Amino acid sequence: MSRKITYHSVRASLGIPLIVILLLSSCKKEAPAPSPYQPTPYQIEIPFGFPTNLNIPADNPMTVEGIELGRYLFYDGRISGRTHPDSLMSCGTCHLQANAFECGIDHPTYTGGFPYGITGKPTPHVMLPMINLIWNHTGYLWNGAVLNIEDLVWMGVVAEHEMNSDTNRAKEVIQQIPGYPELFQKAFGSETVTMKNIGRAIAQFIRTFISANSKFDRYLHGEVQLSPSEISGFILFTTEEGADCFHCHGGYGNPLFTTHLFYNNGKDSLFTGPYEDPRDRYHVTGDPMDYGAYKATTLRNIAVTGPYMHDGRFATLDEVIEFYSHHLVWSPYINPLMHHITNGGVQLTPSEKADLKAFIATLHDEEFLTNPAFGPPEKFPDEK
Amino acid sequence: MTQRLLLIIVLFCFGCKKETPPDEQSQQKIILSFDFRVDGEKLQTDTMIYINEAGNHYLVNEIQFFISDVTLHHTDGSTYLIQEWKDIHYIDSDLPETQTWNVFDNIPAGSYQSISFTFGINEEKNQSLMFLNPPESFMFWPQYLGGGYHYMKLNGKWLDENQQISPFNFHLGIGQIYYSYPDSITGFVQNYFQITLPNSSFTMEKNQTKEILLIMNIENWFRSPNTYDHDKWGGNIMQKQDAMRLACENGQDVFTTVVKK
Ligand code: HEC
Ligand code: HEC
Repeated sequence: MSRKITYHSVRASLGIPLIVILLLSSCKKEAPAPSPYQPTPYQIEIPFGFPTNLNIPADNPMTVEGIELGRYLFYDGRISGRTHPDSLMSCGTCHLQANAFECGIDHPTYTGGFPYGITGKPTPHVMLPMINLIWNHTGYLWNGAVLNIEDLVWMGVVAEHEMNSDTNRAKEVIQQIPGYPELFQKAFGSETVTMKNIGRAIAQFIRTFISANSKFDRYLHGEVQLSPSEISGFILFTTEEGADCFHCHGGYGNPLFTTHLFYNNGKDSLFTGPYEDPRDRYHVTGDPMDYGAYKATTLRNIAVTGPYMHDGRFATLDEVIEFYSHHLVWSPYINPLMHHITNGGVQLTPSEKADLKAFIATLHDEEFLTNPAFGPPEKFPDEK
Repeated sequence: MTQRLLLIIVLFCFGCKKETPPDEQSQQKIILSFDFRVDGEKLQTDTMIYINEAGNHYLVNEIQFFISDVTLHHTDGSTYLIQEWKDIHYIDSDLPETQTWNVFDNIPAGSYQSISFTFGINEEKNQSLMFLNPPESFMFWPQYLGGGYHYMKLNGKWLDENQQISPFNFHLGIGQIYYSYPDSITGFVQNYFQITLPNSSFTMEKNQTKEILLIMNIENWFRSPNTYDHDKWGGNIMQKQDAMRLACENGQDVFTTVVKK
């Protein structure tokens, strides 16, 4: 198998930078001369049971000013390098907070949850949620091809199936908007707008999207009880003789409800030749075991992120549960954790399916979907 | 966490000092490295080239496991328990950095008769949520089934009795006793076990670094004293204590040792 993946700081963990800082400061006698730009460090609070290793690149520390700027840019359609009201597109055009930052199956424009770019070109796959991405160390997108959120920003600007713009236009337009240069100065120490700093700011904003207040989280903290049906669903979710979801989608010991790893979960039998998807995991690793493998997404807020699977083949969670229960398809590439393939699925009864669905619903986090800090700003910098 | 804090404080204190602490004049280190073999040859993953004792044709995709309580047995009868704050070590066939363990401890010089360790994690240490970070956290063993962590995940496929290539998840951890299977658990079974490595005696000279290779001979999981037949036990065994018991008995002689240098 090719899980050849670097967990950036498996060994180092958060303690190391802290040690270095302490070491440095412990020997110094006086404070350094005050620098003209002093952004305010932003502290991530690690929720109960969550990993302590965060994926924050060393050259893009989180700051209050960076996040504020990132929020404007995320929602500002002029980042597409255009100013005509009809031709604007922002990250927020597709990534809607109310749908855990997917467009959602009920999107007014992107019928059925299938988005397309400014030119009308459909995106190659359906959307992914932006939930707890600060804990993803193993690559973004369905196939993990991109290692940094920073890089996804300029890719979104230039992609034909997204904004179809170019980075020069984007940064020139932003540079001209009153208010932005000051915000870049505060966040990055220079009024000059660069694509690199646009990427940094938006990435910082996205890293604040933390979901840790679902009913299941409150159950873990001992604040609420789960109903008998939800408990049965939880047991099904985390047992091999039950629905057997936990090895890939987490549970008590992995509250992200994803491993952020890539598996072939038995949807199809053919993956090569005419059936080849140039954007599956195989096309990142070159390992034949990765044909038809995609990221096992988080099941947090899954009810609002349809349609399901990378190609959006299932419209409802019921269809997904039906699939895992009875319609698995064998291929040489199927991940070994899908050992129920021999019986075509985990064979849940109707009441077990209802329980499993009830448990999955406890991963719904309303606070995440409505937290104003993640939503669009009231005014853009030039509207003040 | 407390241990990490301690470490930070210790470093903090030494931060400005020039001289080394007095008791660290000689440095003896151990490096444990890990390798996987089948029938004496280096493991080749993802290809159906192996046949086990029961006659099952099989392949191996990946192996992940924990060892802990690594203990050095001195010839004078005393023992030395490796105390690195992270004394439970995770090994993953896909992650080369996990296959070399630079043990933190300064090992007393002397001559040692053998090395022993716990396969998996003992009852006292096997606490849920003690590993918050991947890849270790992905080893969690569900609360309902006893909690803590998988001792091992050995994932592969075999050619089953219907000539179908079927996945097997040879997963070991805490077992359960059922009143009525697969519901109503009435008790748990701690399946972790001690292994004393064969041919693991060595002499540690002053200022030496000793490299010791631990080889997991995968075919032995299925061989002796019990012939383990995938056709009998099927693809999953986390809730089949009878299968896990056989596996753990077989685990006794799975490791061989090479003391290098
Ligand atoms: C046209 C709709 C659209 C627009 C506009 C758009 N995205 Fe996306 N985004 C997608 C789709 C579709 C995916 C899933 C792509 C894939 O993996 O194939 C995605 C994936 C992502 C992911 C990866 C999530 C994960 O879990 O791996 C991030 C991060 C992201 N987008 C950020 C942005 C940013 C930042 C912008 C603005 C610069 C943006 N997107 C603009 C449609 C869009
Ligand atoms: C072998 C690992 C594995 C197991 C076991 C597994 N899944 Fe998945 N799951 C995946 C992968 C990989 C995907 C994405 C596949 C794709 O997009 O083609 C996925 C996708 C999903 C999705 C759709 C996510 C989205 O955003 O579109 C849902 C819902 C889901 N799984 C639920 C479950 C449930 C419920 C179970 C247990 C019955 C389960 N999974 C078992 C790997 C797994």
